[in-house]
Amino acid sequence: MTRPKLQLQFVRSPVQRYGLAVVSVAIALGTAFLLERHSIGGLADPPFLFAIAIAVWYAGLGPGIVAFVLSFLALDYFFIPPIYSFGMTSEDIPHFAIFMLFASLVAWFAAIRRRVEGELLKSRDELQNLNQELAKRSTDLESINKELEAFAYSISHDLRAPLRHMAGYTELLQKRTSSGLDEKSNHYIRMMLESAKRMGDLIDDLLAFSRIGRAETQKNLIHLAQLVKEALSEVQEDTEGRNIAWKIGTLPDFYGDRSMLRLVLVNLISNAVKFTRTRPQAEIEIGSANGNGDELIVFVRDNGVGFDMKYVNKLFGVFQRLHQASEFEGTGIGLATVQRIIHRHGGRVWAEGEIDSGATFYFSAPKPQGDLWKA
Amino acid sequence: MESVNKLGRILMVEDDPKDVELSLTALEEYNLANEVVVASNGEQALDYLYCRGEYKTRSTENPAVMLLDLKLPKVDGLEVLKQIRSDEKLRLIPVVVLTSSKEEKDMVASYKLGVNAYVVKPVDFHEFVNAIKELGVFWAVINEPPPGSVRK
Repeated sequence: MTRPKLQLQFVRSPVQRYGLAVVSVAIALGTAFLLERHSIGGLADPPFLFAIAIAVWYAGLGPGIVAFVLSFLALDYFFIPPIYSFGMTSEDIPHFAIFMLFASLVAWFAAIRRRVEGELLKSRDELQNLNQELAKRSTDLESINKELEAFAYSISHDLRAPLRHMAGYTELLQKRTSSGLDEKSNHYIRMMLESAKRMGDLIDDLLAFSRIGRAETQKNLIHLAQLVKEALSEVQEDTEGRNIAWKIGTLPDFYGDRSMLRLVLVNLISNAVKFTRTRPQAEIEIGSANGNGDELIVFVRDNGVGFDMKYVNKLFGVFQRLHQASEFEGTGIGLATVQRIIHRHGGRVWAEGEIDSGATFYFSAPKPQGDLWKA
Repeated sequence: MESVNKLGRILMVEDDPKDVELSLTALEEYNLANEVVVASNGEQALDYLYCRGEYKTRSTENPAVMLLDLKLPKVDGLEVLKQIRSDEKLRLIPVVVLTSSKEEKDMVASYKLGVNAYVVKPVDFHEFVNAIKELGVFWAVINEPPPGSVRK
């Protein structure tokens, strides 16, 4: 807000403003005399009209009126017979009427232009201020981002090293003593190792999650059907020995970041696989639904253990889990990742479910605009 | 191990005593631990290489490989590397950078200084142990070090 104001400065102080009106009329008077001396008669009006326009334009309406009155008087006194008097004959009334008309027109236009220009300059100023603010914000953000990166780096290394030592020493202890320890002691050691591993997993997931927030998205036209195939092959390991009936409907093309959308599908599909584990015949459906015209909706539906709709708003939180780790493994980052990715694509995520009757997870994205979109 | 008579000496430059201990434990499995000399900072590593200070009396052969951490107290890894590569007597020593830094600038700097391998310390304990074992076996057993290295 402290930057110098616009280059085309309007005159501000009243003395200057009214002075300008007087001076411009005086110059107009001089010009009119000059024109008369060079025997170019009948051209007294234009200089005064010009003076009025200048006064309105640079100094505003008040000085404009002053200029108008002064011009009128000067014109009457010096140029309209009887000369050197303020009197006038009835023949001159049309002349004055026309002069006044022109003068008001000129003043009116100048006033409008002055106002419009003023607003324009004001908004340009505001724009420049906003731009500056924005530039500052973006440098702030950049430095915060860098800090975050350094933070993530230090987490991944400085925090992981002691964890590696914990696991390492515990394992060495286990190796050395396993035969001589009772069942309980062995259990303790196993718990220590498990906890170290879990903390490692949590750190990894948190890092991956924060990376998604910072990574640049590269948007391309994605064939979701192809991406689903890839996701399915990625979860193949978990589906081995399972009885799963896959139902894959027609899928739209999507405009988005390929690797991120793939992660979305892998997360949703592996969740469906995981939470149908207790079913003798699992059914998993992947399909698309009609959105409200300008959005695409894709869903993954399963007949697994489902969830209580009471907790639906907790599903997408970081490290939120609705099941015991002993029932279903996981850190609780998958759906948070899904949500983050879809939000970055300008879409929404939501879920429907019922305990013991399966769950459906939806995500949407705005339909791509223009030529890229071929349904 | 059949190649026991040809073990190369490993100079490990590492400031974290726990990483050192776990590495030595890993190398013990292949009977490589006895051939490891540990320096806990860059200065000590250079002392060893130049046979000065506490290493005044050691035999003058070069190690078969040097495992070098980058983040070290006093003289850091890159400075050690620079010093070695600019010394006619030491420049042939195979150097493996073993660090937690995945940063590109560290990698580029290391390779520019002629490092023979760049290994990022795995965060997982098992992967860490495996990496150390593989490095030990490769550089101390499989690889033929330059002439003038310790081999017995």
